[in-house]
Amino acid sequence: MGLLSFIAKRIGLYFVVLFIGLTITFMLPRLMPINPVDGYIGQLQSRANGTLTSEAIAEMRVTLEQLYGLNGNVFVQYVSYLKRIVFSFDFGPSFTYYPQPVSAMIMNALPWTLGLLLTSTVIAWTLGNLVGLVAGYFHKKKAASILEFVGILLYPIPYYILAVSMLLLLAYIFPIFPLSATFPVGQMTPEKFGMIIYNSLLPGITLVLAGFGWNILSMKALTVATTEEPYVVYARLKGASNWTRMTRYVFRNALLPQVTALALSLGMVFNGALLTEMIFSYPGLGLVMRTAANGGDYNVLYGAITISIISVATAGLVIDLLYPLLDPRIRHK
Amino acid sequence: MIRLNDLKVSYRIGNRVIDAVDGVNLTIPDNCIVGIAGESGSGKSTLMKAIYGDIQQPMYLSRGSIDYGLKGTDGKPVTTANIGKEWFKTVSYIPQSSMNSLNPVIRIREQFIDFPGTDSNKKRVLERARQYIGKLGLPPEAMDSYPHQLSGGMRQRVMIALATFFQPELIIADEPTTALDVVVQKEILMLLMELQEQMGNTILVVSHDMGVHYQVTHKMLIMYAGRVVEYGDTESVFADPQHAYTRMLIDSLPTIGDDSMRGVMASAAGASGDRAYDAQPVLVEVKPNHFVAQSTAAKTLVAGATL
Repeated sequence: MGLLSFIAKRIGLYFVVLFIGLTITFMLPRLMPINPVDGYIGQLQSRANGTLTSEAIAEMRVTLEQLYGLNGNVFVQYVSYLKRIVFSFDFGPSFTYYPQPVSAMIMNALPWTLGLLLTSTVIAWTLGNLVGLVAGYFHKKKAASILEFVGILLYPIPYYILAVSMLLLLAYIFPIFPLSATFPVGQMTPEKFGMIIYNSLLPGITLVLAGFGWNILSMKALTVATTEEPYVVYARLKGASNWTRMTRYVFRNALLPQVTALALSLGMVFNGALLTEMIFSYPGLGLVMRTAANGGDYNVLYGAITISIISVATAGLVIDLLYPLLDPRIRHK
Repeated sequence: MIRLNDLKVSYRIGNRVIDAVDGVNLTIPDNCIVGIAGESGSGKSTLMKAIYGDIQQPMYLSRGSIDYGLKGTDGKPVTTANIGKEWFKTVSYIPQSSMNSLNPVIRIREQFIDFPGTDSNKKRVLERARQYIGKLGLPPEAMDSYPHQLSGGMRQRVMIALATFFQPELIIADEPTTALDVVVQKEILMLLMELQEQMGNTILVVSHDMGVHYQVTHKMLIMYAGRVVEYGDTESVFADPQHAYTRMLIDSLPTIGDDSMRGVMASAAGASGDRAYDAQPVLVEVKPNHFVAQSTAAKTLVAGATL
């Protein structure tokens, strides 16, 4: 019963978060002092050296307002905005790549971003936890402090410096990976798939290295604290082996806060996407967002923001729903 | 019969050495419950750790030895060096913080089999454990529960079940009832006494509660500043305490309608005080089976107290 109401509450919260997110995305452009329609018309007018007639401009204004969903008062706009997004996942067309729909652009870019960033975040988390567990469990041994040192060394390096250094080292000085990777599009074939994996390795390794250090340090601290817990001491006095204590006692308990940390870092995936995809010219959502921001392509920008809100909220939901599997205190209330 | 021969247990902290147990000579007979009392820092827990064989940095045995007089599961005599293999089989332990001593994320039944037992067939062990906890007043479903689903009393029964499951010769109970309310406390103590009678083994009970000692133990050991100040049959110790410190402990039991606590605390200051109160105390048998630490200093205290 407790579990069911936990799940129901969590899913309810998920929809509330989505609703608030969508509302804010709707309000933001309307709070801006610039009107994108005026801006666009001004641009066209100057390109045409002021030869556009006022009828043509009025006609264009109607078309553009339709494209932006600016018909009617704010409330009507809001309702139709929610309808378009919830029922048909429609953000309107892109302006830079008119008439390509924004949703199609996002759907093309999203698998790239999720594939690279989710994978590397999860790998960094898993490796960091394992190394941190060993470093923490044997924290009195010298060899274990070397493991911790890896974390201390990696953690404070800013991501962009790490990324540029890796690119310099592994693509320029030692050209193991391509300096500017190409990612084939279209029908997937085994060769293409191999090429994508190979070209994704360098950004992937960089992301893993960047996330790895924090996970080591965090897990190490949690492990050290957990080894002092009475139930771990008791397990030792029971004669339980080091392996049993480390895996079933310390790891299972120290993992719980780390799962929350994973949910938070999955939420940061889109932050990472922007820099990673710029540095490694990787064709994901980050690159789409950057192009849109440069070109004033509002529809694409808000589409990308909406999709990040949905993804972050979903990642949090999935992790929270996994939590009862790991902690029986939530499962059996 | 367990014999401690001039046992000295120390902690090395930096360059400092602290003798937490300082020259204890003691014979603990078989088939009895021995209570150990003394204030915090008197060395009770260190003595228990040393007897249990849980000797880890920075703690070490600096002098003396322990003769367990027990045979392990492999038939060899138990010594300080090999006692780790006998944990929960020949020698077992009921912890102080029993409330937090069960792993919160795994079921009770898994905590019955996640250490090397006497039988490698885990299923058979579990079947026996399920029957066994029934005898200890626990429902069989308790085996499939997580610790947070059990009450404090049930958890302590689980701890006792774990500690007594392999019928050990010696059980060390470190304040086994501290975290429990008085009703549950009594049930748990009765259970311990019953089990001891059935198994005919030795239980060492550390407690601050003199009432617990009076009800449960056959023999009493009073420790002060790392030394034994009095050791004897519980009835005799309570009826006629020889050492001023023992008297203070017994007198500190509150009695209804008695408001003389202030006087007791004042004499406590006299009994404690300097740690080097006594160079080498010798246990003197004042009555049959009733020993008290005596030397010049202690004698004056005892004499002063009796006069």
